[in-house]
Amino acid sequence: MSNDMDNFVGLSVVLTGFSREVLAPDLDPVDIKSEYLPVFTANVTKESGDPSLVADIFQKYAMLQSQTLTPQQIGEAMLDPANGEAFVLACRKLIFMWYAGAWPTIVPASATAQASTVSDLISAKAYTASLVWQVMQSHPMGDSNYRYGYWNKPPVPLSDYTGQ
Amino acid sequence: MTTQTYDLVIVGSGISGSIVAYELGRQGKKVLILEAGQEVPVDRSGYMRTFFKANAKTPESPYPPTTQDPKASTPDNPLGLPDPALENVPRYTVLQINSWRNPAQCYFTYPPQAPGLTGDSPEVVFAFASSYERIGGGTTWHWLGTSLRHFWHDFELKTLYGHGVDWPGGQQFYQALVPYYEKATKEIGVSGDKAAMDKIYTQFDVEPSGKYGPDYDYPMPPIVASLVDNLFATVTDMTVDGNPVYSSPTPQGRNSLPGDRRQCAGNTNCIPICPIQAKYDATVTLANALQTGNVDILYRTVASNIQVDAATGEVTGIDYITYDDHLGPPSGTGTAVGTKYLLAAHAIETPRLLLMSNKNAKFPDGVANSSGQVGRNLMDHIMYLAWGLAKDPVYAYRGPLSTSGYESLRDGAFRKNRSAYRIEIGNEGWQWAANDPYTTLADFVFGQNASQLNGNSVNQQGQPLRFNPSLPANSQLFGQQLVDTLNGVYIRQIRLGYLIEQLPDPDNRVQLSPTETDHLGLPRPLVTYRIRNDYEREAFVSAKAVSTEIFNAIGATEYTIPPPDPVLYGAPNEVTATNFQYKGNNFTFYGAGHIVGTYRIGDEKTNSVLNPRQQSWDHANLYMVGSGVFPTVATGNPTLTIAALAFQAADNILQDLKQSSEEEAEAMASSS
Repeated sequence: MSNDMDNFVGLSVVLTGFSREVLAPDLDPVDIKSEYLPVFTANVTKESGDPSLVADIFQKYAMLQSQTLTPQQIGEAMLDPANGEAFVLACRKLIFMWYAGAWPTIVPASATAQASTVSDLISAKAYTASLVWQVMQSHPMGDSNYRYGYWNKPPVPLSDYTGQ
Repeated sequence: MTTQTYDLVIVGSGISGSIVAYELGRQGKKVLILEAGQEVPVDRSGYMRTFFKANAKTPESPYPPTTQDPKASTPDNPLGLPDPALENVPRYTVLQINSWRNPAQCYFTYPPQAPGLTGDSPEVVFAFASSYERIGGGTTWHWLGTSLRHFWHDFELKTLYGHGVDWPGGQQFYQALVPYYEKATKEIGVSGDKAAMDKIYTQFDVEPSGKYGPDYDYPMPPIVASLVDNLFATVTDMTVDGNPVYSSPTPQGRNSLPGDRRQCAGNTNCIPICPIQAKYDATVTLANALQTGNVDILYRTVASNIQVDAATGEVTGIDYITYDDHLGPPSGTGTAVGTKYLLAAHAIETPRLLLMSNKNAKFPDGVANSSGQVGRNLMDHIMYLAWGLAKDPVYAYRGPLSTSGYESLRDGAFRKNRSAYRIEIGNEGWQWAANDPYTTLADFVFGQNASQLNGNSVNQQGQPLRFNPSLPANSQLFGQQLVDTLNGVYIRQIRLGYLIEQLPDPDNRVQLSPTETDHLGLPRPLVTYRIRNDYEREAFVSAKAVSTEIFNAIGATEYTIPPPDPVLYGAPNEVTATNFQYKGNNFTFYGAGHIVGTYRIGDEKTNSVLNPRQQSWDHANLYMVGSGVFPTVATGNPTLTIAALAFQAADNILQDLKQSSEEEAEAMASSS
């Protein structure tokens, strides 16, 4: 399992654009990764109907990671359509999960509406830990650690939030 | 039957009921409150957990009973909405709007759409778009905190502009209310900027005649402006219908200084819940009322009938049903008895109770309803939303949900031709307008374009909307490019909300459903709601044009998405709830949460439910408070006026109690 977790976190760093120190710090009281990995594994397996898909994704990542490639190159290789539709979609859902704290379902386009996405929140912790709040240089709605009047001044740089 | 006879029995523990209870309790009067919902919790952490877990962060999402159960979702009920027939105190939630034609999911029931209508027909009925809480402390749990006064002009809409009705006494009504506005401002603990309000009162000829009171000021300094506010404040040389356009800090019921409650920490979550109670809610006043030692409260106690003495016409008791568990069986019944009675159950449940009380032989149409006006003239501030992207970062999603607005368009000669509005400036990006941050996120992860930022969309002004023209349409991003794109969008998002004044329309009304009941067997509300006056629809046209002008003035790009054509007929899940057409435009409206007008005050017994003292014309010992007493919805958010009217009603009730006891003493003296 630890190998899966290593690969899961490493892949997540590449795909989300956030640092390992933000997603899975050494001292990690939130430990959201331990909620996300089982959700990812279960949902991808169920939706794809392929019991080996998650292992294939991690194996591919581990292989790429062992080469001297940049994160950008690894990401492009993971999202290459040649990997298959289910493989790429799983990787994209992984991104969404980290950013939204929720598991997405894509609603295809219809005669009257374009394609959209609905999502199911994974947990209360996932809501507050989701990366959308970090990427907007803010805080979860309803969970501010700031003080009165902070909204009158620009936030600290984006890199402080992403760790990159 | 309760063993004690109270001076006053109150139905409802929201801001109005709590204020009256406190005012009487501190004067030594004995008060009983019947509250249909659950008790005020010892702390709000349970509500916060419920809120964090809710998929849809609607105004009701933190509060019991939980309205969202994804595990219960089915193809016919994707949101897992509970069946109101199985709940003891069901309530209407924003999530039910799109289920409005399905009474197994929607608490309100609605009349059928008349045949042969088109999308622009005035007779089209809509879903009602605003909701309320049935809980200790009432709907102030999820109010925004905006604490504006009405202008005296708002009380003379008929005299000055020929529309709607006047409030009884018009300008004199405002003058009489001034000291109560001051009390309300202190009770709520409003943070405000007197100089900014002075400018508005001067513009509208309210200040020069000194009608706002000699000691008028705010208990706390104004909440500091957001960076979003600063951008909108740059509009200085624009006029609309002869009025200048300028923004002002909004007086707000949240702490700008530490005090009895905490200083605002900018959780950007005033609706649905302030996690630290920096925002005032009625539990503050309710606790003070209970601490007088003279106020009792019964929770999970649903008023079901008002008894009336046929000979005197006076109310003799309020029957109630109790329950222990929200989905369980009734646990008991009783009758609360007092000298005076006060209904404070908000503008849907109060008329519902009055109409349910139809077993009294002399009052077959319900209590207090000799005028036939009970439940009529249902109004809201009908909201138009516009949203866009600022040219430079304004760092949205930070601070209270709204800290300023354009108040300078709330009055003027144009009110002869169209509804007035105030414009609220949002700090929460496109959260309300477009379900962000999630819509934009999904677009750039999955290559969709629901936000219009990631495709070939152009706006209504012909401007291309793709956020990064160097990226192809329907890009699917990852890594640093995703970070930079999302950040670039979110920190530029801006939103305007227009609160459009709706006219009183006697056919917009709350009745009793002839077929649907709640779990206690009580009939559910049947709501008829239209926007059928050109007067109101013209304000939508104005709002649309003014938004574009403001966005142009600040160099922003508009992203407002016109809604699809209304669908009036078809399967329940296909018909649209709040879309209409007017003058070639498609509009959707949103609720402001300002439910107004269903038991209005007036000068005449024949056209109103209450006299100007908020006392029933038909039953001398029955009073009602809350936004249901408003004859018109006016141009300010209603809560400060609701609170002021509650203080005024408390004085009236105290005066009447004194008179009653004096008459009783005289009668005893003469009989002995």
